[in-house]
Amino acid sequence: MEIVALSAPAVLFTAGMIAFPLVYTVWLGFHSFTSAGEQRFTGVANYARLVSDWEFWHGLWVTLVLYVLSLALQLVLGIWLAVILFNAKRIHGIVRSLFISPFMMPPVVAGMMWLVILDPSLGAANYLLQSLGLPPSDWLASPTWVIPTIALIDTWQWAPYVALIVLGGLQSLPPSVYEAAQIDGASGFRTFRRITLPLLMPTIVTAMILRSVDLLRFFDIIYITTQGGPGNASNTLNIYGFRVGFEFFNIGYASALMLTLAAIVFGAVLALNRLRHAVAW
Amino acid sequence: MTSAASTDTTLSDDWARRVNTLLLVVAGILIMTPTVWMVLSSFKPSFEVTAYPPKLFFTPTFENYAQLTKTTPFLSFALNSVIVTVGSAGIGLLFGIPAAFAVSWTRISWPALLALAARMAPGTLFLLPWYVMFRQVGLIGSYTALILSHAVITMPIAIWVLLPSFDNIPRSVYEAAQVDGCSLTRILLRIALPLVGSGIAVAAILCFVFSWNYFLFALVLSNGDTKTLIAAAFNFVGEGSTQWGALMAAATLIALPPLLLAAVVQRWLVAGLTLGAVKG
Amino acid sequence: MPIARNAAACAASIMALTISVTASAADFDWKKFQGKTVTFLANNNPVSQAILGYKDEFEKLTGIKLKVDSYQEQQMRQRLVTVMNAHSDEVDVFMTLPSREGEQFAAAGWYADLSGMLKNAASNYDAGDLSRALLKAANFRGKLTSVPLNIEGPILYYRTDIFQKCSVTPPKTIADVEAAARKIKSCDNGVTPFVSRGLKPAVAYTFSNMLHNIGGTYVSNGKSDLCSAKGKKALETYSGLLRDYGPPGVVNYSFYQISALYRSGRAAMAFESSNELRTMMEGGDRLKDTGLMPFPAGDAGSVPTAIGWGMAVSAFSKQPDAAWYFVQWASSPEIQKKVALQGIAAPRTAVAQDPEFRRWLDEQPVRKEWQAALDVLAAKGSSEVGYPIVANPESREFIGQAVQDLILKQKSVDQACADADKALDGLIAQK
Repeated sequence: MEIVALSAPAVLFTAGMIAFPLVYTVWLGFHSFTSAGEQRFTGVANYARLVSDWEFWHGLWVTLVLYVLSLALQLVLGIWLAVILFNAKRIHGIVRSLFISPFMMPPVVAGMMWLVILDPSLGAANYLLQSLGLPPSDWLASPTWVIPTIALIDTWQWAPYVALIVLGGLQSLPPSVYEAAQIDGASGFRTFRRITLPLLMPTIVTAMILRSVDLLRFFDIIYITTQGGPGNASNTLNIYGFRVGFEFFNIGYASALMLTLAAIVFGAVLALNRLRHAVAW
Repeated sequence: MTSAASTDTTLSDDWARRVNTLLLVVAGILIMTPTVWMVLSSFKPSFEVTAYPPKLFFTPTFENYAQLTKTTPFLSFALNSVIVTVGSAGIGLLFGIPAAFAVSWTRISWPALLALAARMAPGTLFLLPWYVMFRQVGLIGSYTALILSHAVITMPIAIWVLLPSFDNIPRSVYEAAQVDGCSLTRILLRIALPLVGSGIAVAAILCFVFSWNYFLFALVLSNGDTKTLIAAAFNFVGEGSTQWGALMAAATLIALPPLLLAAVVQRWLVAGLTLGAVKG
Repeated sequence: MPIARNAAACAASIMALTISVTASAADFDWKKFQGKTVTFLANNNPVSQAILGYKDEFEKLTGIKLKVDSYQEQQMRQRLVTVMNAHSDEVDVFMTLPSREGEQFAAAGWYADLSGMLKNAASNYDAGDLSRALLKAANFRGKLTSVPLNIEGPILYYRTDIFQKCSVTPPKTIADVEAAARKIKSCDNGVTPFVSRGLKPAVAYTFSNMLHNIGGTYVSNGKSDLCSAKGKKALETYSGLLRDYGPPGVVNYSFYQISALYRSGRAAMAFESSNELRTMMEGGDRLKDTGLMPFPAGDAGSVPTAIGWGMAVSAFSKQPDAAWYFVQWASSPEIQKKVALQGIAAPRTAVAQDPEFRRWLDEQPVRKEWQAALDVLAAKGSSEVGYPIVANPESREFIGQAVQDLILKQKSVDQACADADKALDGLIAQK
């Protein structure tokens, strides 16, 4: 029973800190706040509104597009970077520090930094493009490009993280795997695709889980750069819920949105965890 | 013949190595450029930060940094950040270490999953409830409230970073102690802890960094005296008072502690960051 | 200075108050709340920065300790919503924009009624001199919810040198603005002819001025009126100026991009807040070649937007009387004059006419033009920014959406206004 006592502080602390917020938010989600400042029990009205609210569905769509795009970019680039790092055999400490720096940077700082760099009229990015003879882009101000741009910022920040995780996986693979492949005379890429990649899957899925939790709740960078705009083009669920609550002051509906989002994240993590067990070897 | 063939392979190996190094350099430059640009901007005269075409060569000035300390209690905000960060990292470790040990010992993982689940909800969900909760006990604006809220972020990190470290200790190490009838707490303190020293260092630093970087909770739970640096950073953008130079200087200073710490422990950090991912 | 002395428009209660103020506050005890602590939630903008520069004077005068909690506008509101939803007494005094959230906060019961407190003011306070238009704008359901700290509004900044080079005369009408932009575009392609706000939630601030000048209204017969001929014309003119003559990415433009663009010499006309003067003139490059005016007239003449930040006492404050001392001090003629000398336009006639302030204006030609424009705002200004309904902040969202749809050519004007009207009718119906 002593073993229970050892994990008790952590369990009790977590329960204490999240139980009340959850219960309170569920309660808020069942209420509406009238203009007279009173709260009124409205049952599932907030959830009914959610179903017929196109902004919610739009937010869900934006969230998913951003999620898939960012995750794909980060996995592809991350795995590629990991292979380069792995092939380099010896990695200098400076290189490792370089790779760590983007995701150690406060998201607020990263957002402000990119805001300045990507400004369509004043930023360095367009200046660079134009000096190279390329057409300038509106970046965060274009409804078409805002999501890819945000995905790029997030990829700049987190692809190195994925790379380091995958590198760890590569380093832990038994060398015999490669030897076997070489005797068969298989080409480098074939070896990688047929042998290395499947063996790396558990590591990759873990990286997916870790990134999914953040990507589905995408907030910081958008909050600082576009706040959901232009139009609704980058209005993710988390941003939408936040604005409903803290800018339009509709706490009841915001609570319903937040809980729905939490359920989506939780469901995604459970599903990915299943996948992880499926690809384990 | 044989020697010629082997030279061939070394040659192409050599080329492959060079291309690989080149790719690594390109990746490094791409990763580094935005940060370098930000740091450069912080040394420009305030109104030149948004000058167009952007100036690569300029007379560096410290006016933005001077401005920071002059117009805001920058140092006391920094001190607040340190207090909250160290406090929450401390609690995260204090609760997280025994929990990670227990999970590793029993192979019952739900406590670790519970801690992680708390991180899955959007942070905004907690704002109002926590405000109400901490107000009930008179802790609004206190360091305690901030430290406790940030510990919700740090504790799962501590647990998940330390789990693989504990898992790596062979059971045989504990056997003698068990035979002697040592309590589990004693085994943790005397045998296991010294063996996971580097894991704890990494966990502590990651706790520090992620707590330092988090801004949402401080926005609501702190007050003018306990506001953290990152929550104060927004104050440099405002109608009639946007100071790009000062903003970039603030951004540089705020990013400095996490980046320095990360660089110091980079070798071990990489192992810790994978949060046991590699083991599958 | 021609302040609107429209007796009919002015709440009679304010008149009555003014009289009783002068009568009752002969011997005012500033030390009455000595030893108390008042917490002030501030928006970190030039207004609060200037006022708080004299914080020590307030503490010395009253013996009250002032605890300042200052945030950027959006964060301040976020914090305020949390504090108020929890009915917390943590905040005693806060800054507020009546034109934006007044109706909503008043409905939620977050403001203490200041009309009673206004009676308890020092004899030299002179409440009657405060801008009546702004006091009226802060009056909801017979309660005075805040006291104005400044007066501001969007004005047109333009480059005299570019105008001269392209032989354009300062515009007198909205059509002139369009003509000037067209001419500048063909004469100097290195400069953005016209820039204003395109960021969705920020559009209403400048667009309202355009709408009112053209003669449109937001609400007519209880229905959203953007699809009226005038509403459509306003939408088309505003978005057309930004689409055809604005900078790339204008849909993300708010005050900080606009002033950075103008300051660096890359915009010929900027329609932006009077508060941005200091930022635009930073570095000194624009001091000699800038002209200022209220936004040129449309079919309905000139109806500039004039709003002001107000200082409010929280309804949940446990010490509203001590809180009022701070509000009173901050809006007193003495402090408002000191603050005016730092470029914060005071909502008081006496300050605008003060000799010392006049000398300050004379130091730079732009300051004189700036004050002249603000005089017009004070005299003719309307504080209607977005819909005059409880959900005003949300209404701005749909105005901004319609404008953005047109800038980005995603909808026809009929479609954009119809979609906006539909959403806005929904907001109007919410009661």
